[in-house]
Formats: sequence, C-alpha cells, structure tokens
Amino acid sequence: MSERYSRQILFSGIGEQGQHKLAAKHVLLIGAGALGSANAELLVRAGIGKLTIVDRDYVEESNLQRQQLYTEKDVEQKMPKAAAAKKHLEEINSDTEVHVHIMDATSQSLEPLLQNADLLMDATDNFETRLVINDLAHKYNIPWIFGACVGSFGISFTVIPGKTPCLNCLLRAIPLQGMTCETAGIIGPAVQMTVAYQSAEALKILTENREVLRETFVSFDLWSGQFHNIKTGKSKKADCLTCGSDPSYPFLQLENTTKTAVLCGRETVQVRPPYAVELELERLVRDFSAMGYEVKANPYLVSAQNENERIVVFKDGRALVHGTKDVIHAKSVYQKIMG
Amino acid sequence: MIKVLFFAHLKDSIGADSITLQMSGESISSLKKAISEQYKVDSLHTVMAAVNEEFADESTILADGDIVALIPPVSGG
Repeated sequence: MSERYSRQILFSGIGEQGQHKLAAKHVLLIGAGALGSANAELLVRAGIGKLTIVDRDYVEESNLQRQQLYTEKDVEQKMPKAAAAKKHLEEINSDTEVHVHIMDATSQSLEPLLQNADLLMDATDNFETRLVINDLAHKYNIPWIFGACVGSFGISFTVIPGKTPCLNCLLRAIPLQGMTCETAGIIGPAVQMTVAYQSAEALKILTENREVLRETFVSFDLWSGQFHNIKTGKSKKADCLTCGSDPSYPFLQLENTTKTAVLCGRETVQVRPPYAVELELERLVRDFSAMGYEVKANPYLVSAQNENERIVVFKDGRALVHGTKDVIHAKSVYQKIMG
Repeated sequence: MIKVLFFAHLKDSIGADSITLQMSGESISSLKKAISEQYKVDSLHTVMAAVNEEFADESTILADGDIVALIPPVSGG
C-alpha cells in the first residue's frame, strides 16, 4: 500500500490487512446532504474501493454552512448534490470509484443498487426512507448505519441483520412531524459528531472487525454536554415485520409509501402520507413559521407561503404543493417539514 | 422518586434538562402522559424511552430511583 494510507495502516485496528479489505469494499450512501457529504469524504479519504451515492436534491446557499463538500460555485450552477459530490470526491481520492444516481431513494429505485454492496449508510432526512433502508438491509442481509441530527443533538445506531434489533423494533410508531434541520436548525458540530460515530462503525464493518462494533444506541447533545449510551439488547422483537421470524418487509410495499400526483391543469402536486395520521396543526404552524413561511391556519388545514411555493397541509397529512409540477421536488418539500 | 432526563428540543419545551417525579409503580406510558399534561407539550407518543440506559417499552413499570431518558427520534441529516 502507498504512503497515502500509512497513518491509517499504523492504527492497530486496521493495519495492512484492513487497508486491503477497505480497498475491496463497496458502500451505498443514501443522501448527500450534511451527513452524506461528511460520510462520503471520510470513507473516500480512508480508501474504500467503491462508493455509490443516491440523492434527489441540488445545492442551495443554506447548505454551505454544514455540507462540507459543496462550494459557492455549486450553488451558482445549481449542481445536483450527487454530481457535485462526485466531482469533489474524485479530486480528493482518484483510487475510489464513485458512482452517483440523481434520483429519489425509494424501495424500487434502491433495490437494483444493492448487488455487491457491503454496507448501507443512512444520510437521509426522513424516517420513511430510513424504514425502506431498514427493510432492504434485512431482505438482502447487509448491515446499515442509522444517523440523524438536529440543533446540537444527534443519534446513531448500527443495525446488523440477524443480530441487533432493527429500526422498526426501536420505533414504536412512525415519527411523522419529527424534528428536521429545516424546522429546528442545525450546527455543523452536530453533523460532524454524528458522522464520527457512523463512520467509525463503518470502518469496523468494512475492515471486518465486527466484534468491536458499538452495540448501543448513542445520543448526544454538544451544547449541553449530555451523552447517553443506551443498551438495546432487550429491544429485538421476535414478531417484528422487518427482522422477526416471519418478515413481510412492510416498508417495501407500494401502499406504504408517500404518494404524489400532479393535479390536472394546475401547477400543483398532491402529496399523501404513507400511513394514516392525524397532525398536530399548532405544531405545524410553529414549524412552518420557523422555516420562514407566512402561515395561515384554521381547524382543518395550514396554508404556508414563501417566495418559492405555497403549501396547504390538511389534518390527515395530505398536502397540496402549489407552484410546481415536479413531484420529486414536492415530496422533498413535504418530507423536510414532516421529517 | 423517578428522575427524567430530556433530550433535544424536549429540554426547551419542558424548560429544564431534567425533572423528578413521584411515579414509582407507574408505567412509561403513564409517565409520558403525566409529563405532556403537566407541561402542556406536544404528544410524547413517538418519543423513545430508556430506563437506566436500556431501551424500555411503554408497559415498563418504573421503580424508585430509576432514571428515565426521553429521546425524540429526530430526522435531520
């Protein structure tokens, strides 16, 4: 191995052997926002063989404060995040093969990419996609690493099919209206700490050091100094529909996904939530206001307007995104609010 | 006495990092209900709970001296 990786090879947990293993591994990274760009850079610098990135978004000015791969030029050119990431990653390390897919991550679009993936990295911004990743990981027996952050707070957990509990075991209900970076803000260090936990686990998996994986669900707050390492041993559910004895992979079923439809003759996309929900409209008003929207509400719906679009959300979670015919954009706007 | 620790935005909604409650013998589910009523915060339905640093389900019964952490499943990334 070249001088390039000499310091990493000196680290006893990796060594020459570990470095060779890294060079033979393929990681599928879902999301190229804050967690995605930082995880991508770490893995590419560490010398993994191949990285595949999936992302549906393009680079905006408000990303630059924490999404470390992107530049002002990417904002000016409205570069898709995946394409901008590929360009910068190839400049950082030409040893790693970088493949990108500029698309919405769904069970249908991700499934063909799982061939020969050694690890799935979560860098998404919503629980719907995470539960799809969780199902796919179990269906194809591939480990995945959950990570999420808002404000100064972050959480991470490593899911090993057949061994640890899965995300579906840990969540007792699907968190719609979860806190997002758009509604609660985020500081760069919370991203970096979440990525440090995710990527350290990734290095262990990719160098085949699974015996030293952290088995706890980690949660931290860098502003208050809180830290919690939570044991998960008792959380694995025998009847879990994802990782239990008779799995049906519920989040891969089409009926359990967010549906979008362009409304005829109007610049409007209708978005329907994947599950039956009853929203707390007062909280939605606060979330929209925090995101800089001008908000009006009545007991049935919330209407929010900014310079780009007007969104009307009904109590049953259905939304109309006015001012666009782009269903992927509408879904992205919707999930940024709902989590 | 039960000590309850709050994480992320729950700290702001409650107005404290932690509180102490007389709820020995009660379930996690009753504890969440009592907190959301007393502090008038949004439903704690989806919030994850750990008792003494181990994940606990809604029916877990609390014992004197237990430390409960309430961790909201945030989704940013």
